[in-house]
Amino acid sequence: MSKEFLGEFEELVLTMAGILQDEAYGNAIVNEIKTRVGRDVNLSAVHVTLYRLEDKGFVKSKMGGATNVRGGRRKRIFTVTNAGLAMLRAMKESRMDLWKLIPQLKMIGM
Amino acid sequence: MNKNFWFRFLEWFCPPALYEGIEGDLLEEYEIDREERGPAKAKLRLAVNVLRFFRPGIVLRNRFKFELINTIMLGNYLKVASRNIVKRKLYSFINAFGLSVAIAFCTLIYLFVQDEKSFDQFHENKDRIYRLHTTNFDSEKYAQADPSPFNSHAYLPAKMSEVMLDEMAEVESITRFTDYNEGIMSYGSNHFNQKFACADSGFFKIFSFRILAGDRENPLRTSSDAVLTPEVAKKFFGDEDPIGKILTIQSDGAKKELRVTAIIEAPPANSSIKFSMIVSLDVHPWFVRAREQWGNFSYPTFLKVRENTDMKLFKVHLDTLTTKYMGERFKKWREREVIPPGIKPTEFNTLPIANIHLAKDISWEKVSDKKYSWILGGLAVLILAIACINYISLSLTTSASRRIEVGIRKVVGAQKKQVAWQFTIESVVLALISMAIGLVLVVLFLPYFNEFTQKSISITASNSLLILAVAFAITLVVGFIAGAYPALFLSGFLPALVLKGRFTSRLHAGFTKPLVVFQFFLSATMIICSVIMYRQMMYITTKDLGFKKEQVVVIPTQLGWVPETNKVVEQFRNAVKSNPSVINVSGTTNSFNKGWSIYGYRINDENKEAYIYGVDPEYIPLFGIELAQGRNFDAAIASDSNAVIVNEALVKDMKWTDPLNEHLNWEEDTTSLGSKVIGVMKDYHFMSLERAIAPMFISLKIGYLTTILVKITPDQVPEKVEQLRKAWVSLYPDKPFEYTFVDEDVAKQYDMYRRWSKIMGLSTIFAILIACLGLFGLAGINAINRTKEIGIRKVMGAPLSSIFLLLNRQFIFFALIAFVLAIPASWYAMSKWLSSFQFAITIGWQLFAFSLLAGLTIALLTVSYHAIKAALINPAETLKHE
Repeated sequence: MSKEFLGEFEELVLTMAGILQDEAYGNAIVNEIKTRVGRDVNLSAVHVTLYRLEDKGFVKSKMGGATNVRGGRRKRIFTVTNAGLAMLRAMKESRMDLWKLIPQLKMIGM
Repeated sequence: MNKNFWFRFLEWFCPPALYEGIEGDLLEEYEIDREERGPAKAKLRLAVNVLRFFRPGIVLRNRFKFELINTIMLGNYLKVASRNIVKRKLYSFINAFGLSVAIAFCTLIYLFVQDEKSFDQFHENKDRIYRLHTTNFDSEKYAQADPSPFNSHAYLPAKMSEVMLDEMAEVESITRFTDYNEGIMSYGSNHFNQKFACADSGFFKIFSFRILAGDRENPLRTSSDAVLTPEVAKKFFGDEDPIGKILTIQSDGAKKELRVTAIIEAPPANSSIKFSMIVSLDVHPWFVRAREQWGNFSYPTFLKVRENTDMKLFKVHLDTLTTKYMGERFKKWREREVIPPGIKPTEFNTLPIANIHLAKDISWEKVSDKKYSWILGGLAVLILAIACINYISLSLTTSASRRIEVGIRKVVGAQKKQVAWQFTIESVVLALISMAIGLVLVVLFLPYFNEFTQKSISITASNSLLILAVAFAITLVVGFIAGAYPALFLSGFLPALVLKGRFTSRLHAGFTKPLVVFQFFLSATMIICSVIMYRQMMYITTKDLGFKKEQVVVIPTQLGWVPETNKVVEQFRNAVKSNPSVINVSGTTNSFNKGWSIYGYRINDENKEAYIYGVDPEYIPLFGIELAQGRNFDAAIASDSNAVIVNEALVKDMKWTDPLNEHLNWEEDTTSLGSKVIGVMKDYHFMSLERAIAPMFISLKIGYLTTILVKITPDQVPEKVEQLRKAWVSLYPDKPFEYTFVDEDVAKQYDMYRRWSKIMGLSTIFAILIACLGLFGLAGINAINRTKEIGIRKVMGAPLSSIFLLLNRQFIFFALIAFVLAIPASWYAMSKWLSSFQFAITIGWQLFAFSLLAGLTIALLTVSYHAIKAALINPAETLKHE
């Protein structure tokens, strides 16, 4: 694994971009976080995070087609790169490894 | 939707590559908001969202393009800026002076606010340390429909802390703490009147004051242990090891031996808990009695709760405990007074120690008020505004000289943005120079500032970096604020127009005039306020108080509240009365501004209260107090010992018509009529002028005469005091001779006001100085702008006076407008200030007229130099080039 490291919010945004696929742009991610996680996040924070992820090479972006809803402005669509996907996977695995180390005594009664 | 302001703003700071995506997202959100919340809310949210995009993560993405061009040009900008600063020395000086004073002021005020905030933050367990306070129901406030009819103070019954420690599981340690005690302490031949604090052993477990030597565990094991700060230890023991040494203490008639058990570090300046020496509470002879009295609220109490204590639950337990021990009293209280059901007559509350310094609603000796931070901050902002306006108006009016430069720059390819940056950088450079001067000023001013504000702020290694950072931040803000408008204005010149030379020699910068008026307005307000404050201070210090306060020496008997102290007065009188320079000697329980006693009593089913002073028959003649009726006490008449002399306010309060036939039954004696009234004094100000003259009476038998008053003849005062000292030393070699003068004690009551009016005065002087310098610069430019006009006028035969008038008319007009605006503003502020005095000057038109005259004179003197110079110039000189 490289030295690159993802913050909690970065990971969240990256995951959402992965979920949304071709529809992953700023507003959509804000809404997705709202509906799936129930967290109110600010648009600007999501944008800044996306640009940072782009700097790190975990997403790439291109301008999408124009629509009528946005006053004719195009969307900047973000797609998760292979590096980004690898990063997400690595994080999930390392977390699972750690999770297994916690004594699961409480589970017995379930 | 049109491109509104917010999108333009976004476009301005947002990197172009990202702009479309962001704008689209914002628009989309806006559309949704408009449907869900309506257009007004949606617009507001749009603005907020745009503002939230104004963050480093976005703005700094511009860096690439921005740095490339600007680093190439930066060298050039700096070079031009420094050339300009050097070339126009006068304007640079005016700006640098104003800005540096403003920066210095702001930094000092930042230090002040920081110091206020830092109070009591240094205790390790500050989250668990609380101070208890008493909250009492106030029937008067209740009658006036006050929503919170309570009064709070930080004093508790002594017993409370004992029962809390015994019965409340949450209390880890608790201590009572009083610091106003005084006594004569001796070690060998060293006798000093020493202040000391009294506490319980919990003190050392609660607070984080380090013990430097001696018993670190529990230095107050017994009632004869004492803990000293290094300074006090040095005073008594010099270089000897203080631990284990014995000090004798005489306080309020009791003599006791104290053993030094530990040396503790002195509390820092930003501690509300102050002490130089700590002893057990038992040292005090009164304490034995006071600790059993639940009605005696005299002991500030601090406690440390156990970790993870729920303070809500704590309060419930505290209330239960209060009812257990004080319930009976409350019941009686309810019988005597009308207390609405559901309201507790008294309860105890806690306040975290970190908050006590600024909790001004809870009365305590050492509380500060946030108001002072606000006033100082306001003054700093005023001065900053005045200095910034100088910069703006001067750079606008001198812009004529830069327009060719702007034209050329634009012709060779500079964008408007770049020219704007150039001018902004120029103002930042000037601001940075001012910052350097300002920091020097901070160091120079700091001692005076400390004196005015009664602080002891010092520049240390740890806060100097912070000061630097703050000054730098202020500087950048000032540089940008002051630079922004001129930069935009100057960069807006159209090169074609400028270079064709179609300009007349005058350039209209329309925004200068309102700025100058505003600046005048600020200065005028400050002038009026300081004049009023000065007049009020004069009034207070010169007002006839109803007694003669001059040449009266106040000497404490150093014995405290014991009968023997009366003998000391008598002995001292006998010792000095043959001295020709001594006019009179008297004794009193409380001299002016050295404490007071108030006594409440019930007469004819009415609660009354009056101030009481114990005196001797010499008191009235010594102070030259006039009697409205009746006579003075006479030592020869035995019944006088139970008589009283009252003041007119008391007569009025009692609604007596013939006071000399009345008795004042202040002791609520059921077997007699009480004390006979033998005289009525004309009202005199025995308290400060902040208060109205309250009912008051004097008597021969109340309390003990703890203070000797000696009236001496005028002139050669030091020699006469020396004679008194000699008489004292030969009588009481083991007691220090301390003295003050009544007039100085009286004046001290207004120290705080005097300090604040000085601060106000100084700020005003600086504000006027800065504003005048700006005005001076403006007038100069104005005169230069009109050189040709003046030349032509003179050729046509205009007399000197009309040219003088022509040049000054505008400024006088500005000043008048400013004053008209300043009158209501300052009137409002000053009537608030004056309302804290019962005896205040009235704000009449004369004060405003005087301020206006002063302000106008200053302004005229400032602008006249240029006007006269311009008017005297020979027209041939100015017109020969045409």
